[in-house]
Amino acid sequence: MKLVWKLLRQHISIPQFVGFFFANLVGVVIILLGVQFYHDFQALDSEDSFMKASYLIVNKKISAFSTLTGAQQTFSDSDVANLQKEDFVERIGAFTPSSYNVRARFDVQGLANFSTEMFFESVPDEFVDVSSDAWNYQEGSTQIPIILPKNYLDLYNFGYAQGKGLPKLSEGILGAMKLQVQIAGNGEVGNFDGRIVGFSSRLNTILVPEKFMHWANQQYASNENTKEPTRLIIEVNNPADERITTYLQDHDYETDKEKLDASKTTFILRVIVSIVMVVGIVISILSFYILMLSVFLLVQKNSTKLENLLLIGYSPAKVSFPYQALTVGLNVLVLILAVVIMCVVRNYYLGMFENFFPDLQAPGIMSALCVGLVLLLIVSIFNIIAVHRKVMSIWKRKD
Amino acid sequence: MNKIQLLHTLPNVFEGRIDIVSDIWQQDVTFEKGELYLVEANSGTGKSSLCSYIYGYRHDYQGQILFDGEDIRKYSVAKWTNVRQKHFALLWQELRMFPELTAWENVEIKNKLTGFQKRKQIEEWFDMLGITDRLHAKVGRMSFGQQQRVALIRALCQPFDFLLVDEPISHLDDSNAEIMGRIMTTEAKRQGAGIIATSIGKHIELEYDRIFNL
Repeated sequence: MKLVWKLLRQHISIPQFVGFFFANLVGVVIILLGVQFYHDFQALDSEDSFMKASYLIVNKKISAFSTLTGAQQTFSDSDVANLQKEDFVERIGAFTPSSYNVRARFDVQGLANFSTEMFFESVPDEFVDVSSDAWNYQEGSTQIPIILPKNYLDLYNFGYAQGKGLPKLSEGILGAMKLQVQIAGNGEVGNFDGRIVGFSSRLNTILVPEKFMHWANQQYASNENTKEPTRLIIEVNNPADERITTYLQDHDYETDKEKLDASKTTFILRVIVSIVMVVGIVISILSFYILMLSVFLLVQKNSTKLENLLLIGYSPAKVSFPYQALTVGLNVLVLILAVVIMCVVRNYYLGMFENFFPDLQAPGIMSALCVGLVLLLIVSIFNIIAVHRKVMSIWKRKD
Repeated sequence: MNKIQLLHTLPNVFEGRIDIVSDIWQQDVTFEKGELYLVEANSGTGKSSLCSYIYGYRHDYQGQILFDGEDIRKYSVAKWTNVRQKHFALLWQELRMFPELTAWENVEIKNKLTGFQKRKQIEEWFDMLGITDRLHAKVGRMSFGQQQRVALIRALCQPFDFLLVDEPISHLDDSNAEIMGRIMTTEAKRQGAGIIATSIGKHIELEYDRIFNL
C-alpha cells in the first residue's frame, strides 16, 4: 500500500485540504458548542425540574376591593374555555385544593420537632415532570409523594435554623426524611407517610399526585361539591409571546412576572442557540462540499494511475482506500480538535456561570461528543461511498 | 482457466462491413491453456481492441467471449480482479507503467499485490534483460525499449493461465527480443500456461502452435 499511496498522493493540493480542515473545524466547533451550551444552560434552567419553562401558573388578582366585596377569585368553566381558545395555549390544568384538614409533623435529626397545619393541592399529572414511578399513588397505600416549595426550605435554612442554631438541611437529606401526615375530615382520620420527591421554586404550593387528591377528597371531604379552581397551570407554546401578557392584563389575571421573564429569556436563548447551530451545520455542509470537490479533482487528476492500478489487478476497494483513509482521517482530526476547543471554551463560560450559580451541576460533554461522533460517522460514510463511486466510474468508463 | 473462446466476435465499429477477412473476427476461435499463439495483424484491424475485450475493460463488441464456457460480460468486479491477479497476465502495447515510480517500484507494486515472485528472480530477469543499472531509475526517464522490458517483468509477477503480450518487442533489438521470448516461454512452461502474442510485422520468434491473421 506504501507504493500505491506514493502514486496516489500525487497532485494532492495542500491548500485545498487546509481550507477544508479549517472550514470544517469552525463548523463542527459551532455545532458542538451549540449542543453543549444548550445542555449546560438546561442544567441552569432546570433548577426546577418539576416544571417546564413553558408552564405558567395563573390566578385572578386579589385586591382590597375584591376581598371586601367577596368577588369571585375562582376560574369558572367559561373562563377556562375562553383561555383554551387562545392560540398561545397548548393545554390547561386546574389546581385541585384539598377539602379536608392536613397536619404534618417531622423531626430534624432528633433536635427539633415540627408540627403544622397545612394543605395540599394537585395538578394533572402530565404537568409534573417527575418519573411516573416516583409520582404515583397506589390507593390504600400510606405513602404519598409530595413536592414542596423551595421557599419552605430557604425559610427553614436561612431563617429558622440560623436563629435556633439548628443544622441546615440540603434537598437530598430532606428527601430521605419522612413527613408524618395526618388527614382528618368527614369524621375520619388517616395517617400517611409523606415522601418528599423534590422542591419546586415555581410551584408555590404543596403538591400531591392528582390520584391521591381525588381519593382523599372523596374519603375525607365533608361536602362533595367540587370547587372551582383558584389557580390554573397553562402550557404555552412560546412564553415570549406578547399576546400572553396582553391577555392576562385584559382579564385581570396574574402570573409570576419574573418567571415569565425567565421563560422568555430561556426561550430566546434557545432560539439563538438553534440559529447558531444551523449556521454551524451550514458551514459544515459547505466544507464537506469543498472536501468532496478536492477529492474528486484529485481522483480526476490521477485517473490514469487509478485506471492502471485497476488494470494490473488492484480491486476498486484497494484503490479507493487511500483517499477514503485521507478523508476519514481528516474528519477524525477535525473532531478531536473541535472537542478540545469546545472543552476550552466551555471551561471559560462555566467559570463565568459559577459566579452566579454556585451549586451548578453541569452535565458532562457526553451529548456533544455523541453528536460529534454521529456527525463524523455520517460524513465519513458519505465520503467513503463517494470515493468508491468515483473509482467505480473509472472502472466502468471502459464500457 | 483452461480455455478462451471467441464466438462470432466483432468490434462494433466493424459492424456492417462485408470485406472482413479474418481468422478471428466473426469466427469461432479457441485458445487453449499451454499452447502458443501468434495473432498477426495489419494496423486498423482491431488488434488492441481484441486485447481489451479479452482483458475485460472494453465491451464494445458483438458476439461472445467465454472463459471456460462462461460469458465474460457477466463477470463481476470481484471476478475480474481475481482473473487479473491470478489467471491472466497482460503486457500492454502502451505498457501502462507509472512514470513517477522507479523500474523496481513498478514491478514491486504488482508483486506486492500477488506476492508471487521472489526478489532474486526479479533481479535475475532485470540482469538477463540488461537493465540492472536502471533498477532505481524513474521509468519516466527510460527509453520505450527499456520500459518494455520492465513491463514484461511486471507482467510475469503473478500466477497466470494465459499471458497476452501485445507487440512486446516493437522497440527491442533481436538479441533482447530473443531473451524476452526465452523468459516468457520458460515462465509459461513452468506454470503450464498459454501465450498469445500479437504483432504488426516484427514478431517474437517462438514455436507457435497456431498463427492467426486478424
